[in-house]
Amino acid sequence: MKILVQTIQAINRFPKPDFESGYAYPEQDYTIPNEALWAYIDIAILVLLMSFVAWAVIKKQIRWPVILTSVFSIVYFGFFRDGCVCSIGAVQNMALTLTSSSYTIPLFVLLLFILPIIFTLFFGRVFCAGVCPFGALQDLVNIKNYKLSKAVTSVLSIFPWIYLGFAVLFAVTNSRFIICRFDPFVGIFRLGGEFSLLLFGIMLLIFSIFTGRPFCRFICPYGAILSLFSRISFLRVKITEKECINCQLCHNACPVDAIRPPYENKVKESRSEGVKRILRYMVFLPLMAIVGAAVMYMLSDKFSKVNKEVQLYDTVVQNEAQPQAVQSLELQAFYSRERTIEELAVQVAVIKKEFRIYSGIIGAFFSLVIALTLINLSVKRTRKLYEIDDANCVSCGKCFKYCPQNKISEPRFS
Amino acid sequence: MINKRSKANPEERREFLKTCGQMIAGGTILALFGVSFRKITTKETAYFWQINPQKCTFCGRCQTNCVLPMSAVKCIHALKVCGYCDLCGGYYRTNVKELNTAAENLMCPTGAIQRKFIEEPYFEYAINEALCNACGKCAKGCNAFGNGSLYLQIKQELCKGCNECQIAKACPSDAIRRVPVSEAYDLKS
Repeated sequence: MKILVQTIQAINRFPKPDFESGYAYPEQDYTIPNEALWAYIDIAILVLLMSFVAWAVIKKQIRWPVILTSVFSIVYFGFFRDGCVCSIGAVQNMALTLTSSSYTIPLFVLLLFILPIIFTLFFGRVFCAGVCPFGALQDLVNIKNYKLSKAVTSVLSIFPWIYLGFAVLFAVTNSRFIICRFDPFVGIFRLGGEFSLLLFGIMLLIFSIFTGRPFCRFICPYGAILSLFSRISFLRVKITEKECINCQLCHNACPVDAIRPPYENKVKESRSEGVKRILRYMVFLPLMAIVGAAVMYMLSDKFSKVNKEVQLYDTVVQNEAQPQAVQSLELQAFYSRERTIEELAVQVAVIKKEFRIYSGIIGAFFSLVIALTLINLSVKRTRKLYEIDDANCVSCGKCFKYCPQNKISEPRFS
Repeated sequence: MINKRSKANPEERREFLKTCGQMIAGGTILALFGVSFRKITTKETAYFWQINPQKCTFCGRCQTNCVLPMSAVKCIHALKVCGYCDLCGGYYRTNVKELNTAAENLMCPTGAIQRKFIEEPYFEYAINEALCNACGKCAKGCNAFGNGSLYLQIKQELCKGCNECQIAKACPSDAIRRVPVSEAYDLKS
């Protein structure tokens, strides 16, 4: 492969030696892996796997292709490609692209972000089913389905939105990519990494033996985005083509608690009461949003401490006021470069302003999420049959074989 | 009229809301494509992580902050810059008593720098990358006393290309940034 390099002029204290023995400079080889090609292979495989899963769970109602996809995804996306860049992390690149004028996004990162969303809009969360190596890993170790109580799941499932909000906040201010920083599974795929994160990853896997996909349900910010699109997907998973007989078996089999049991709402509200309720929400929602925005706005100064420049500014100011005997590496680097404290102060002021604006927006978003969760809990709809909750269904297909209606047409031999 | 509306089937209403949602979702996806399409520049897109040798201060954080157990950063030797000195600032520690290859005299803690006699008074230095742990001691010495031919760089075949380079976030002099594919290595010459 052709060597593509950029060269930089170096200092010259000693002259280039004149060799008399006919010494020749040895060849130095800097090969570049063909990353661009791999990136497009990844995209092709992503599309293929998602189509495969969609065909299996929507057309055929079978689970074995999902298991096959999971194993392949863990081996390929996980262990072979080392789990980076992934769709979950691409959320941050996307946020940065939308807000920053200088940031450019590689095409394949954009595709990585947007293709699972498009597939979700058409077929439901087929990406989560087994194409995402994180979901696949948790799905394959899952044995038992201890159901968490509704109160616990409702509170915990707000967390992905909070995580998403902070990920976007720190990404758009160019501070950190926290989704990548606190990725619990990438260490497992790379067979090594930060100890605390490895421990967290292993604990999540142990939890997922007993209850389905704790990461997908209570942490994954990309899953939160996909759940929005999954709610309105054109095609959706049906447990059986035949009539539901309300046997409850699918409900017990669902690892992510996405099958809701029948419910009879005995307290029917009158029309005027409904109108009043809507009016109350219309007052309540903006009020919550304003409160949330104000709280986050006030906290924005604390969040801005995550940014490297803000940290540097704080240490420099501290050092100016009280010069330290042993200067940290940051201070040494700062003083060795031609950069004045005034320039830094201007930059930090810009960063802090960004933090205030985005914290405010994200605060409003947080309180909307909380308010909508509360409203959702208070709305009671009558259901006559077991129904799939499309937002939470990850299309894993575990319910198919439990449905007795799916078995009737098969010939029986005893 | 009013009666008809009040008797609207809730399921029909839900279906209508769903269609609205689908339109909004489709619109959002198209809008995302539209906005980011202008920002896709396949040629100049910063892609590979590299250290800017002119900013690097050899602080040694590359050694410990990489996500890999053995850092993807390695010492690189620009032979065409090297002075081939006997008393090499990157090879020997400062204030050594004797110029021999005893370990207490050598700068490299892992013995990754090997030297070969070429002709009086020149020695060729080579880095054994399997042993190099990117501590940057040799590069610091070479930069302080010599031509700066030893320096640290991210090796592309080792780098995992993390979405966010952990060393970049720890680097005190902001020397690590992404470079386009067409300039995949920042080398001294």
